[in-house]
Order: sequence, then structure tokens, then C-alpha cells
Amino acid sequence: MRKELRYWAERLEERAREEGLTFPPVLFEEVGPEEMAMLAAYGGFPRRYPHWRFGSEYLRQREVYRYGLGRIYELVVNTVPVHAYLLKGNTLLAQKLVMAHVYAHADFFANNLAFQPTPKDMLDEMAHHAAYVERAMERHGARSVEEFLDMALSLENLIDPHAPYIRRPEGEEEERPQGRLRVRPYLDPYVNPPAEPPKEAEEGASPRPLPPRPTRDILGFLARHAPLAPWQKGILEIIREESLYYAPQAATKILNEGWATYWHTRLLLPLLTPEEALEFAELQAGLLAAHGFNPYRLGYFLLQEVEERWDKGRFGPEYEALPLGEKLRYERPTGEGKRKLFQVRTVHTDISFLEEFLTPEFALGQRLLALEDLPRFPEAKRALLFRLTNMGYPIVELVDANYGNRGELYLEHLYEGVELDLRRTKAVLENLHRLWSRPVHLKTVVGGRETLLSAGA
Amino acid sequence: MRPIERDLLRFKEIVRGEVKKRAREFLTREELFGQVEGGVVSIPLPQLEVPKIVYGEPLGEGPLGAGPGAEGLGPGGHIPVAELELEEFLDLMGEALRLPRLRPKGEGEVTEEAFRHTTIARKGPRGLRHVRRTLKESLKRSLLSGEYREEDPRLVPEREDLRYKAPKAKPRPHAQAVVLFALDVSGSMREEELRLVKTLSFWITLWIRRHFPRLERRYLLHDAEAWEVSEEEFFRAREGGGTRLSSALLLAEEILKAYPEAFYNRYLYHFSDGENWQGDTPLALEVLGRLLPGLALYGYAQVQGPYGQGRFLSELEEALGEREELRAVEVRGREDLPPALRRLLGG
Repeated sequence: MRKELRYWAERLEERAREEGLTFPPVLFEEVGPEEMAMLAAYGGFPRRYPHWRFGSEYLRQREVYRYGLGRIYELVVNTVPVHAYLLKGNTLLAQKLVMAHVYAHADFFANNLAFQPTPKDMLDEMAHHAAYVERAMERHGARSVEEFLDMALSLENLIDPHAPYIRRPEGEEEERPQGRLRVRPYLDPYVNPPAEPPKEAEEGASPRPLPPRPTRDILGFLARHAPLAPWQKGILEIIREESLYYAPQAATKILNEGWATYWHTRLLLPLLTPEEALEFAELQAGLLAAHGFNPYRLGYFLLQEVEERWDKGRFGPEYEALPLGEKLRYERPTGEGKRKLFQVRTVHTDISFLEEFLTPEFALGQRLLALEDLPRFPEAKRALLFRLTNMGYPIVELVDANYGNRGELYLEHLYEGVELDLRRTKAVLENLHRLWSRPVHLKTVVGGRETLLSAGA
Repeated sequence: MRPIERDLLRFKEIVRGEVKKRAREFLTREELFGQVEGGVVSIPLPQLEVPKIVYGEPLGEGPLGAGPGAEGLGPGGHIPVAELELEEFLDLMGEALRLPRLRPKGEGEVTEEAFRHTTIARKGPRGLRHVRRTLKESLKRSLLSGEYREEDPRLVPEREDLRYKAPKAKPRPHAQAVVLFALDVSGSMREEELRLVKTLSFWITLWIRRHFPRLERRYLLHDAEAWEVSEEEFFRAREGGGTRLSSALLLAEEILKAYPEAFYNRYLYHFSDGENWQGDTPLALEVLGRLLPGLALYGYAQVQGPYGQGRFLSELEEALGEREELRAVEVRGREDLPPALRRLLGG
């Protein structure tokens, strides 16, 4: 890294730590636009398993850059140490802003509860996954592995984002006999080979329903129970693990970007020279532009609001009980703002963050809402929260793996008023059917009526 | 190769495969026709995404602003579109439909100069330095001056020894082509037949232009008389009246005089329902006999009209038989298009 950048990286890091941010070392690297496009296509990593959709995304990213439709200033990866990529050729001020921004992201990764279960050596993990898939391709043919990847990736979002937190004393965990080594799931069949195949009669007679309770972890279930070759199960585990790794990032986009924007502003403002002020204002205006849905803008202003409210003592039962007009005038200086901000960054995800702090007062102040629309606020807020639920994906549960006592899969879409994309859903069910090899059913609502979609039946 | 390049290549391979698979379908997709002028063809290909269970409607815009879904970044979104350069697209279509390569006939006019690095110069950029020639000069000089010693045959090139590769303009013959489309508009051609004609002439034009970048196009209409029209009029025009195929052929003969055979690959396509006036056929065949030797190809497509079978196709085949420059086909409906196109292009 250039000397000048290193100097600023150190100064900004010092300032960030003084302010109370805590984070592991951050490694910055300057990369050109092509490399940035590659990293973006690969989700921040230099190496992923071979698949055409990365090529497709790479092409798109390159075109976005070439036609000036967008520019990735920075890419930061949740690893320890944190890896951050800066776009070569940005002005020094832009790089300073981005570095300050990155330090706050690093603090967020290290402290937000949603990120606690994510592996911190994902750089190595991704490379292992790549090597695993490449080896499978050598052994079983690139095309047949690719075909399997295509099927498996269409189930990519059928995970339970909460799975890493779930520790069940009974149920499926119990199936694993004592004395097994706990290893990465895709290594499990090698480290702990099955002693002998389970006997058919025993399985059929099992009184325990499978799964013991409805589960959203459909990928995990298939990896354990679908009639697949070990390499295929390994690939399912890999996809599941990567999805789980990315899930917290999708679930905290608004808060994480808001946090980073809050801190780069706060760290950088006192260091600006008069010449830099205009450029800073320009960058900031671009970042916080009010068109469409801008997570940076919403997160940043909402955090500012939280800080102001807690500084002025605008919280607690006494405040909450006030009518709207008086709330805006209420003041009981406590100076709790900064402490509250750190608490918010630790415990919240986007949904709980908005649920708790997105108030009618804020919406009015931000002109998200006209005064005459005030009665519609609860409905609008519910709609926004719904869009963020499960990262915008429908929630689908696996209810029964022995539906009708015929070994068929029975899934249920937890319908909340929005119907599914039929073409895509049917394609996914076909894939699921091919993996499971028995018919697959999904209960959902089509055209306002409860419907059972089936594949292979 | 970097992994991402590998993924990109594979992606492009998949796109090409899908285009080839669906070539027949694209043949009659009229919404493609407009795009082609821009040089880039966009084709919606649902196969280019991994399907997932997603909501069917975008989670719309509420009073609190559009949701993440509306950005196109979120799950769902639109059907992916593949963008292909026109030339690549045509080559894929050609491969899938087994369209024949067109071979330029004759040398054509000298119209282009191609630069090749085929000569040697004493001055030039370092990157083009010709090492072998430079050392040769150096060796010559040291032999002449007596510096050269066999026990230590090292050569140190001086400034005067340096030789560079240099470009030389070389005139290259450039093949040219002209294509004439003649359309029979005697009342018997209906909307559906006209559409087939339009589709055929559209692809014929593209395919010929793929091989002859300098392609001139002329259009004529005829019933009992023939007259020249613009491209737009050609596809819009509908007249009534009787049919005299000879009138179009005579006018074509007139027009082609401006495109000497020695310099042009001359293509003539004739679309008709084949219901010629009784007395006209001998004259038409006679004119055609004169024309044929000077044409790269004469394509006759007989589109079946609503009033039964035209006879010109069989009369034509009877009179002229199998000839290299003659391609006559019958088109009854869309499903006949791929073989008809192949045949009309000389396949």
C-alpha cells in the first residue's frame, strides 16, 4: 500500500479506537476495477468454486463500471484479520473516507451479535470449498458436477438463518452417536464414516417423525437424508455453509451501512482541510442520495436520531406516553446517546432496529411520510419490515419427509399475503424432486386459493 | 487462467448453447428484427439464472419508500437477458440452422488497404525491433571492418545496425454484393404470406451482409408491371391485379446493369404465389435464362396463396432443371422457414 495511504490508515485507526470502536487488524489492498469486479462477483473472496453464475455476475459488474452506472468504492470481508479492498485511482479523500468506513464495518463484524456464529477464517474456507468442488469435477466430470451445482444452488435460500444458534438436546442431534469428532460438515463422512448402512426395516419402523418438527433448514436436511453420493452431500453442505455465512450481512445491511457512514462522517469531519470540504460534501451527497431505497441513508439518519433521542432523554415510559407534538419538544438531557448507539450496534439486526426506532416522528422528520399519511404509518412500517423479513425471501418449511407414508417431501410456504413466482417455484420443485428422487409437494396459495404444487407426482 | 475468467468463459459457452438451441424460435421472432440495426441483440433467456423460490410480485413501494426488492438487487427480479454482438449471434444462428457460407465470386474492386508489418526499416519503435536482422547487420559490419574474431564471436549492435519491422500498405480486393428482392403483390398474397416473405428477406439480408459487409439492397414490386420501391414500401405495399413474373425479371435485368458481374456478387430473390399469367411463363423463363449465368444466386420462393397451387415453381424446375445458381423452394408456413432459408442461401 502506498505510504500516504498507510499513514492515513494508521491515523484513522487510532481515532477509531479512541472513539471506542473495537476490531481486529484490517488489511487494506488497492485493486483495479477488473479485480474489484471479480471480487464483487465472488462475494469478496479471491477464490470460489467454479460456477458460471460468477462469470455472469463478473460480466455484469464490469459493464456497470465500464458504462459508469456504478462504482464499487470498497469491499470489506468479514474475516479475521479483516480484508478490505479499495478501488485504485480514487482520490486520497475518497480512500480516507472508505478506510474510516471500513473500520466501522470491522467493528460491526466483531461486535454485532448476528455475526458471532460466522466463521472468521472464511478466506480459507472458501478456498477449501473451491478445491473440494474442483476435485469432484475431476473425479465425476465437470458437467455432472455443474449440473448438480445448478440444482443445489436453486435451494440456496432454503436455510434457517437461525440454525447456528439452535442447540437441541433431543431430536436430530441425538442421531449422532457419542464419540464422533466434530468437524466441518462436508468432512464428516470422511472423518466419521458410517459404521454400516442403517437397516431398512429399522428405518421404516422408526416411530419418530422425520423431521421431528417442521424445519426451515431444508439444505441441511437434504445433506443428511437425501439419497445422494458423498460428494453431492458435501456440495450441499458447502452451499449451506456459505449461505449461512452471508445471511447476517443481508440481515444487517441498513444498520451496518448506517453505522459505517455514521463513523466515517464522525472520524473524518475534524480532519478535513478546507479544500477537501467540497469533495467530501459531494461524496457524502452521493452516498446519502434519496432515490429509491438507500440503506446508507436510512441507517445513517436513524442512528443519528437514536443518538439525539438518547442525548436528550427522549425515551422511557414518560416520554412514550406523550402525544406526537409534545414528543418533539420534550427534553431531559442525559447524554446517553453514544452508549445507546454502541448497544444498538451490538444487539440489533435491521428488523429489530427498524421495529424499535422507526417512529412516526422520524418518518415525518425525514419526509418519508406526508402528514396526511400519518394514519397509514403502521401499515407502511409493517410493509417495510415484511420486505426485510427472511432477507426478502418467502419462508418455506419442510414439514414431513414421509408424506402419505410414501417417502415424499411435504413443504409448506408460510403465506403472509404475497404469492410466489410460479415459474421459478416450479423449477425449484423439479430440482428438489431430482435430489430427493421421490415426489415433492409444496403447500402455498395460488390465485387466492390454497394449492398443493407437486413435482414428480 | 484466473478462476473468474474460467467462469466467464463457461457462462458465455452456456449462452451460445442456449441461443443455438432456440435458433428456430428466434427465426420468427419479429421483435428481434428491430434491435438488429443497433448491432447488439438482446435475448431474454430464463435459463441463465438459477431459479429460486421467490415472491411473484415485487414487494412494492410503500409510503416509506421502495423496498430492497424493488432495486433489482434483492431476490426475484426480471428474466436475465443475454446480449450478443450481431455477428456472433448470426454465426450461432448460421451454425444451428446449418446456413451455408457464401463464397465470394470474382475478385471484386480494390477498395481496402490492409496494413501488414512486412518490410524492414532503419527507424522504428523499440517494440518492433527485428533482432535477427539487427544482428545480421551487425555481423556484416564487424566482418567488413575486421572486428570480428572467431574465438570470440560476440556482436555489439551499433545504432546503424538497428532494424525494425515496418508496416506496408497492401491493397486487398474487397468483395461486394448486391441483393435484389422482387415481390409479387398481385392480390393473392395475404398478411400471413407477406410475413413469411418479410422474415425470409430479413434473414437473407443479414446473412449475405455477414459475408459481404458492403451490401447494396434494391427492392421491387410487381403485378403485371414492375416498379422499384424503398425498403419500407416493399414490406407495406399491397396492390391488386394480374401477375406477370417476367415484368420483375426484366426490371431486375435493367437494375443489375449498374452492378457489373465482374465486381459484384449479385443475388436476386423473387417471392410469388406462382400464379403467373398463362402466356407470360415462356417470356419469364427466357429472361431468367439470360440472367442466371451472371447471378451468384437466383432464389425463387413460392408462397402458397389462398387459392390453391401456383404452377411457376414446377414450370421453372422443368425448364431449367438443377443448376448451381438456381434455388427454388415452396413455403407453406412457418415450419418451412429454416429449410427454405438454408436452400435459398445456396445450401
